[in-house]
Amino acid sequence: MATIHDEIDNWLAADTHGELSDDERSALHTHLVECAACRKSHQENKVMNKILEETLAHEKPDPAFEQRMLAGFRKRIPQRSGLVKLLVDLMRFRATQITAVAAVLLALVQIGRMITGEGAAVLRNRGNVGSEEFARRPAQAPFTDELSALRKSENGRDKEVAAGKLGSGLGAAVVQNAAIPAATSPVQPKDERRDAAEVERTIVTGPNIPSAEQVEPNPEAPASVLTNRKLIRNAAIELEIASFDDAVQKITAFANEERGYVATTSSEKQANGKLKGEILVKVLPENLDHFLQKIRGIGDLKNQTLGTEDVTKAYFDTDARLKNAHVMEQRLIDMLKTKTGKVSDLLQVEKELGRVREEIEKMQGELKYWDSQVQFATVTISLFEKDMEEPAAFLLKERAQLALYAPDVEKIYNDIKGLASPKVQVTNAQLDRDNSGRVSARLSMLIAPEESDAVISRVKRFGRVENLQKQTERIAQGGGGMSENAKTKRDKVELNVSISREEQEQALQETSLRIRTVAVDEKAKELRNLAEKQSGRMRSSSFSRDPDGREFANVSLRIPMKNYSALMESLNALGKVENVTVQRQDRNGAQIDEANAPADLSIQVYSQGNIVSQETGLFATLRRTLAQSAAAIMWSLRMIGVAIAFLAPWVIAIIFIVWIAKRILRARQQK
Amino acid sequence: MYRAATQGDREAFEMIIRTHSRALFAIAYGILQSREEVEDVVQEVLIKAWKTRWRVRDPEKFPAWLATIARHRAHDIFRRRRTVPLSVTINEAIEPSSAAESHGSELDQQLQSALAALPELHRSALTLRYFEEMDYRSIENILGLSNGALRGILGRALTTMRKQLRPALASLE
Repeated sequence: MATIHDEIDNWLAADTHGELSDDERSALHTHLVECAACRKSHQENKVMNKILEETLAHEKPDPAFEQRMLAGFRKRIPQRSGLVKLLVDLMRFRATQITAVAAVLLALVQIGRMITGEGAAVLRNRGNVGSEEFARRPAQAPFTDELSALRKSENGRDKEVAAGKLGSGLGAAVVQNAAIPAATSPVQPKDERRDAAEVERTIVTGPNIPSAEQVEPNPEAPASVLTNRKLIRNAAIELEIASFDDAVQKITAFANEERGYVATTSSEKQANGKLKGEILVKVLPENLDHFLQKIRGIGDLKNQTLGTEDVTKAYFDTDARLKNAHVMEQRLIDMLKTKTGKVSDLLQVEKELGRVREEIEKMQGELKYWDSQVQFATVTISLFEKDMEEPAAFLLKERAQLALYAPDVEKIYNDIKGLASPKVQVTNAQLDRDNSGRVSARLSMLIAPEESDAVISRVKRFGRVENLQKQTERIAQGGGGMSENAKTKRDKVELNVSISREEQEQALQETSLRIRTVAVDEKAKELRNLAEKQSGRMRSSSFSRDPDGREFANVSLRIPMKNYSALMESLNALGKVENVTVQRQDRNGAQIDEANAPADLSIQVYSQGNIVSQETGLFATLRRTLAQSAAAIMWSLRMIGVAIAFLAPWVIAIIFIVWIAKRILRARQQK
Repeated sequence: MYRAATQGDREAFEMIIRTHSRALFAIAYGILQSREEVEDVVQEVLIKAWKTRWRVRDPEKFPAWLATIARHRAHDIFRRRRTVPLSVTINEAIEPSSAAESHGSELDQQLQSALAALPELHRSALTLRYFEEMDYRSIENILGLSNGALRGILGRALTTMRKQLRPALASLE
């Protein structure tokens, strides 16, 4: 530790400035008593201190210094007055700051909404508020007087009527339109703009008023016009009823009650015994509504249409034309009576008379028809009994599909054809032979229902059944849905058989394995012998040798499942069995003769050749590790590159912004 | 008070002007050794501090921040004094001090030159001590020194001056 003597300068300075603690001071003084050199320094220091105090006292700022500073400050930074000061003071509070930030955010959101167009809706709402104001205004004091005065005036009568019909809003606008000349004087100048808007409004609403009057039917129109009208009324009604006959009886009774009659009746019986039909009833037009009311009670109403055809105009036109024709006829008759002239002329008149009479008859017939139509209203009633759609019977249609595998396709094809009899009909038989001599066959037959099970089981016995599908369909006849009474009948059974050669059958189990041995060729032959012993059949075999001296023999064979495990065991004798994969395809629910089902084996017998690179051991592992680590380094390099590419633009942008900000700040500081 | 001042309370700031402007004067004097210039510097520093008060993050360090601005500003002036043509600056800046010196004794002159030879930090420490008679702790605070560093600085400053002025001192005794 440094002694006092070593640091005497510091100690002496602190002592002269009175910054030593009591302990320190006594320690220093003890040292000063002992050390003459330090004593001398102490003396000098004291003198120095004194001189400094005296000299620097001159340079000390004068007492008014702070005041000057303050005054300068106040002059350069003028006090803010009133509102600004209040605002600035307010902004010092955290709460105010938060509120301000929130307000700014809100404002931004609003601006954003206005830019994106949501603001348009807001503006439109504001417009509505404005128009509501227009509508409310007439009710206000200055306008009520005008309004009542206007009501009395004769000129305003039409408009008043229109206003009453169009509703308060529009009416008010109309009234206001008339009131404008009087209203403008009391209204203050700043309302002028509104008045202009009102004028535009009345221009828009103006054309509506007379049209409203037109729509309104003339209340004083005489009721007699209605009675003079020629109206053809007719109705159509559709009913679901329990019993057709009952309904016909009731309808006839109702028709009589209403002074009408049943014009036609038609009915039809469905396969399931249900009836449906149509009844045409004529009733007096004035009783039509009453009649319809009654009829509805008969059954369940499904559909009803009521129509009226106004033939008044056509009727009276025809009537007038008829009168003219009568006049014409009379004149022609007169002409025949009075005039005497050439025969050809008379004939001409005669011909013309015939034409006019024909026309008269036509028109009279037309009028009569209309009269009859107008006299009675026509009601078409469609009736149908409940459960119309109920089926009459059900038909069970069975379909069976069978896939057979056999060694001799042709024989079985002929056997099945031999089954044909009146109850077993072969509808289609086909035997195909392709380029490689493979044969397949297809047979379709229709079998009487009682024979079907026996025939199908016989067919199944001809070969190995691969696939049997049975399908039963119940077909409703004469309707749909369910029925309690309908009978069910079995239809002929349709059987489709496809026959293929055994080889084409898919194996139940597929096994692949490798056998490592030294003598490939020899072992492959041995393998063939083994397979034949287990009643297996070769499907294919191949042999190859590669440049490294490795030999491969691929053998593919099929054996029955029952011999499979025996063969597998005997394979162990050939060499080292490797890479065994077994794939079994269980066909659930299929009737399979497990013991005879085929199993496929594909076996590769191979030798190791001369060079065998064993990918195990220290060096191989080391090499792999190095390779992988190199790859990992490369990968991470790539990732770093990607990351830099991602970040670089941002970093550059941020640096640029910071640089600019610094430049600005510095410029302001220099000021 | 410091917090209020940084948040724009004018009265608080004026209070700080009253209490701290002398210390700022002392610091700037340590660099410039010219009363007129130093007064200008202090005034500028105060105004600048008011304008940029929002930059202060820790209100407790407000005095130290003020001192830093003052030091930088004084340095700027000092550098400018050197770069501006000599004829102008010397007349303007040195004249007052030289005039003051002429009044004093030879010792005064020697003292001034000894002071001028000191490092600026030492000079600032000296002026703070002898102008304002501030205690060591406060000086350390305002100059941003660590606790106890000032004792060494003042010790060295005094010793350097003593050694330079030794002949004069001897004659005085």
